[in-house]
Amino acid sequence: MVEEKENVASANAASGQEPVSKKGAKKQAKAAKKAEQKAENAAAIAADEAAGDNAADHAAGRYGLSEMIQSKDKRSEREFVLVPDLSQHVGKGLVWVRGRVHTSRAKGKQCFLILRQQSSSVQCILAVGDIISKQMVKFAGNIPKESIIDIQAKPVSVANKIESCTEQLVELCVEQIFVISQAKAQLPLQIEDASRPENPDDAEGLNIRVNQDTRLDNRVLDLRTPANQAIFRLEAGVCRLFRDILTDQGFTEIHTPKIISAASEGGANVFTVSYFKDSAYLAQSPQLYKQMAIAADFDKVFTVGAVFRAEDSNTHRHLTEFVGLDLEMAFKYHYHEVLHTIGNTFTAIFKGLRDKYSREIEAVGQQYKVDAFKFLEPPLILQFAEGVAMLREAGVETGDEEDLSTPNEKLLGRLVKAKYDTDFYILDKFPLAIRPFYTMPDPNNPVYSNSYDMFMRGEEILSGAQRIHDPEYLMERAKHHGIDTSKIAAYIESFRYGCPPHAGGGIGMERVVMLYLGLDNIRKTSMFPRDPKRLTP
Amino acid sequence: MYELKTLLPQFEIKLPTCMYDLKNVSLSAGAATAGDTAILFTHMANISFSCNLKHIQCNGVTERASNPKKSVTCALDLDILGRQIQQLLKQENTAAVVERQDKVLKQLEELKAQLGKIRSSLGVRVCGKTVQHTTAYQNGGLKEVPLQDVVVNGHPNFIPYALLALKNAWRDLYTIDVKTFTHSTMADIGPAAREFEANLAKVPVNASLPKINVTLIWKNCEHTEMISSPTMYVPIYGEVNIIRYLGRVGPTEYRYENSPLCNEIDAVLDICYQLLRCSTHKSQVAMVRLLDKRLQQQQYFGGQQMSVADIGVYSSLIRMPAITDKDLTPALLAWRKRAKLVTQI
Repeated sequence: MVEEKENVASANAASGQEPVSKKGAKKQAKAAKKAEQKAENAAAIAADEAAGDNAADHAAGRYGLSEMIQSKDKRSEREFVLVPDLSQHVGKGLVWVRGRVHTSRAKGKQCFLILRQQSSSVQCILAVGDIISKQMVKFAGNIPKESIIDIQAKPVSVANKIESCTEQLVELCVEQIFVISQAKAQLPLQIEDASRPENPDDAEGLNIRVNQDTRLDNRVLDLRTPANQAIFRLEAGVCRLFRDILTDQGFTEIHTPKIISAASEGGANVFTVSYFKDSAYLAQSPQLYKQMAIAADFDKVFTVGAVFRAEDSNTHRHLTEFVGLDLEMAFKYHYHEVLHTIGNTFTAIFKGLRDKYSREIEAVGQQYKVDAFKFLEPPLILQFAEGVAMLREAGVETGDEEDLSTPNEKLLGRLVKAKYDTDFYILDKFPLAIRPFYTMPDPNNPVYSNSYDMFMRGEEILSGAQRIHDPEYLMERAKHHGIDTSKIAAYIESFRYGCPPHAGGGIGMERVVMLYLGLDNIRKTSMFPRDPKRLTP
Repeated sequence: MYELKTLLPQFEIKLPTCMYDLKNVSLSAGAATAGDTAILFTHMANISFSCNLKHIQCNGVTERASNPKKSVTCALDLDILGRQIQQLLKQENTAAVVERQDKVLKQLEELKAQLGKIRSSLGVRVCGKTVQHTTAYQNGGLKEVPLQDVVVNGHPNFIPYALLALKNAWRDLYTIDVKTFTHSTMADIGPAAREFEANLAKVPVNASLPKINVTLIWKNCEHTEMISSPTMYVPIYGEVNIIRYLGRVGPTEYRYENSPLCNEIDAVLDICYQLLRCSTHKSQVAMVRLLDKRLQQQQYFGGQQMSVADIGVYSSLIRMPAITDKDLTPALLAWRKRAKLVTQI
């Protein structure tokens, strides 16, 4: 009947209008056929549904959309098990598991569903039988990806390894399934695409990637990939280790203001914010406050907090807001007391990561192929002049008082790696000319200063020095650098009431994590990165 | 006259056409009578060979002598030779030959003077004991001096005891400044390596002596390896080869390349290399027997002086706990006692 109608319609159209070209006729015929097929399918589905509705659903109540959880019932009788622990529950009856639908495929009387919980996943199976009805299988097959579900299931061991899941020896036979929070059917990016290993050598493999901006625009989805889960767990580890190691050494954690009245470090640009009737700046570095804490007899301090840099640099390693891990320490006679403390702190962090976060490092390694981070204990300390000599030996022309350019910095990193096989090293005694005015000059050689940089994989991560703690000398050095001393009066003033000799330095947490894991972009290690082009999400 | 037998089979020497002739230095004085002198020389050679064996020995020395001192003794020998020639000539009573002989003697005198000059110029170099390494940075990386800063990678199971042995043996001659590090591939270096580190640190450092900086890195690596400069040289593998390198840059007393014992020392070091690679006790003992053969009844390997060969054997034996005193011969045991006084391990 439908077919006839269509034919009539098309005939009418043909006769009513200008004579249709051959091509046009073909097109119309095609459209007609398509419409016909569509109608047929719809009819079939309708019939099917009618039949299904009619058939008694013996699994009703075992599946469905859960009402919004508003903390009505405690349901404490439901015992939930974590996916990695499932293998211990094989053959012990039913368990509850909450997770996300990673994929769901209904095929005839069976539905295969992969349930994901953070980085672990397990295969679930629904087969039409005494417990499960056809409708339930269909329902399970239609749950959108990334929805959160509760299932009650029986863990069973399987003969063949399930390669696509982290739990390869266990499978869940589902008996109840409820959707707790449904995801939109259309996802802006597929988790599978976002977590596909980057393997440039593999030309045959699927080459679908999610580009950086799509990832960052949909960071919530992107963060669900195993590699991202691991990166941010490891980042937390860096912070925790930094805190623990320094606290053990008698350091005190301090918190410094982020809204300040004047630029704390000369040179770098600052963000201006309105401050009631006046304007203020966002702190570029907690250095001044660290030093004031030293002058206030805290002896050894560290701080973890946001640092803002209004630098319009769109590089792989610059952010406008990042987490700074800073420390400052008073010493007795030689700033190397501090240098060794900082160096050993780094080694201890690396060792802690190597020993306690090997699973995370491996997970990141599965997506981004990089060499493991290598280091020496105690850390390797080279003199700036030795570094320059190494560069010259390799045929690079660089001056004695010249700062390391980025390519030279990288080359030196490679040379040190080739010779000492370490990704972390310290360069000591930088030329005075290239350091800020508050850097203490070397007493033995006026060309050099008591300052140091630390490098990971050939990139600078920390820059520190012994600071001048004598106000008069500080004034002299500031004048020598042509700095308006009235602007830094408060800084100099803080040393007028006696201050122990001290040194310190600060690192960017994101940069350390990026370089430790050998990632290529700092945006990968910042959960919600801020750069000159990105303020959201 | 005797017929002379050539020592070497006669070769047809084809000179490349790209070369030009150089005047014989010794003949330049009597250049006018070049032809004559040439004949004279053959005469002289004949005479001297007929003279006595002593002269032949002297010749041998001249050939071998790269050392200026030995050339001097040779020059003096030529004096004696001159007298002998005169004696012979008197017997022959040929005035012409006497005349020529005078010329030869004159030339020999000149030669002596030349040698004297060479000796004095060489003597200056030998006297300046500290070899000045002019580090020419700007010559495009072409540096011929031994590097004073090297990295040694070693596994804690194969401790390079030679470093400590050399450090002790050279304590009054040369400073080996060893800094130790642990690579991230090693979780724990074990007590033996820690003790070794402590012993290294115990040796006093004399700042006035020439020194080499050694960075010893405990690393999960297969061979003990040494890296001097990644841009210029390939790594050196094996402890004995590191000993050889240090023997080359170290104090003159331990430089063996110009010594007549060079081959002997190399052979002993090669045995050490093999010994360290022996896996069965039987093969190790076989190597020890080879060492014993080399040592015989000498004070040290190759003679009366301690050399890098002794250092190599000593440190290799420490690394082989399977070789007990039972496996060593009395001569080796006695040697070990002597060596211990120097190496102090």
